[in-house]
Amino acid sequence: MTAQADTAVLVEHLFRHQAGRVVARLTRLLGVEYVALAEETVQEAMLRALQTWPYQGIPENAAGWLFRVAHNIAIDVVRRDKVFGGKTEGIVAELTRSGTVVPPEPDVEEQLRDDELRMIFMCCHPALTREASVALSLKTIGGFSVREIARAFLADEAAIAQRLVRAKRQIRDQQLTLDLPAGPDLAARLDSALEVIYFMFNEGYSAQAGADLIRQDLCLEALRLGRLVAAASMATPRVHALVALMALQAARLPARVDEAGDLVLLEDQDRSRWDERLIAVGFHHFDRSIEGSEVSEYHVQAAIAATHARAIDPDTLNWGLILELYDQLLAINASPIVALNRAVALAKVHGPAAAMAAIAPLERDPKLRHYHLLLAVRGQLLFDLGRTREAAKAFRAAIACGCTDPERRLLERRLEACAR
Amino acid sequence: MAQFMLLLYDNPANWQKLGPEDMQKALEKYMAWTKKPFTVDSKRLAEDPGRVIRSHSGKPRATDGPYSETKEVLGGFYTVEAASYDEAVKLALEHPHREYGGTIEVRQLYGQ
Repeated sequence: MTAQADTAVLVEHLFRHQAGRVVARLTRLLGVEYVALAEETVQEAMLRALQTWPYQGIPENAAGWLFRVAHNIAIDVVRRDKVFGGKTEGIVAELTRSGTVVPPEPDVEEQLRDDELRMIFMCCHPALTREASVALSLKTIGGFSVREIARAFLADEAAIAQRLVRAKRQIRDQQLTLDLPAGPDLAARLDSALEVIYFMFNEGYSAQAGADLIRQDLCLEALRLGRLVAAASMATPRVHALVALMALQAARLPARVDEAGDLVLLEDQDRSRWDERLIAVGFHHFDRSIEGSEVSEYHVQAAIAATHARAIDPDTLNWGLILELYDQLLAINASPIVALNRAVALAKVHGPAAAMAAIAPLERDPKLRHYHLLLAVRGQLLFDLGRTREAAKAFRAAIACGCTDPERRLLERRLEACAR
Repeated sequence: MAQFMLLLYDNPANWQKLGPEDMQKALEKYMAWTKKPFTVDSKRLAEDPGRVIRSHSGKPRATDGPYSETKEVLGGFYTVEAASYDEAVKLALEHPHREYGGTIEVRQLYGQ
């Protein structure tokens, strides 16, 4: 039996990450139409660990154990179920070879990164819907359970399970493969992957304080996938820009909520709680993102996040630069949310009256009439102008629009300030 | 001090809905219990139904079993030290196994 290490502790998310890698490997060996079989096999390997380790101890190389046992289970299943017909012995031979050298052997690690990369590109194929891609990536590469994905998207489990079934059917019907994109296909496929990863990140990041921690896991998983793509030879400056932006924003996650579970706005955050390691990762990729001449939306967002990260305290923050960057961003993506963020920067540089004028067109848009963040910004600008009665009215309207509990508490605190 | 066997039965179907993270959390709970000082020994049984030997009309016969008709299987056992049955039961109650739908049988070892 395996060497026993009584003091061994499991690396955080070891099962999730190993599940993703081993599923990627087995899917590559069995074929994409057998991704469900690969998932079941890995599930079974983890169950074996759960049934064995409490009695025998955690093996010194836990990841290697899971990798090897999953291969052995796959071999048994392939032999027993005979779904591969005449190809059975060939596949068994491949599985045997693959299961012989286990992580963390450097060669295997490198191949596994390649397996995962292929899986990312398949899951993020433009032929799949965004929702399908995200659910599939989380399930097969991220090792998230259906229940966890459902919790993260506030959807019910049956709906997510359905979405996954449909996605797998689409993979079969469209005959998607694990081939890495190359040539003229590459740029579009890369963009599609980045979009899915960024969408996944934002889903997690937009979650408010007090929300399920699973949402933060989405951010970290998106960052992990982004870094996997960034480490590949096909990575462009745009990939690094996205990773920089995600790392710099994710660094602030620990400071976004105070001990009471209340929201802490960026300028009030305790900067010592920002994750320095992630900031370093962010700047590393930021430097690499500016190697080319391209300026994508990711570049500008990363530059904004980097400007915040560079400021030692809120007073030294270069708001002029932030405003310029929002101008650039607005030119690339003229969304109301960008315009609203720009207005906040504008207020810092040119005062609340200028910002009031800037949000006026947004307020005329009927679609945004009940957008609570717009009303909240309006309230704050009016408050800064000393028009407290109108500010209170805006804050009340924002609360009435429906928002999360921590947001409501924040708005109520503002409302109280108006009464003073 | 007296020694007791804790026999852990489980139903693999209970685990099916758990994802990797849930499994790791479960494992961490199991490990935390196992590391406590009262554990003398622990063994996991091999993954097969086992054999039962009985006599039929005077002739011994081996059959698969013993629990092939139930879904619960004996997965492994611990030997623990405890002052009394009550204390042994208390240790078993602290085990996370029940939380995951498992059953624990507590038996005192004779003469220990």
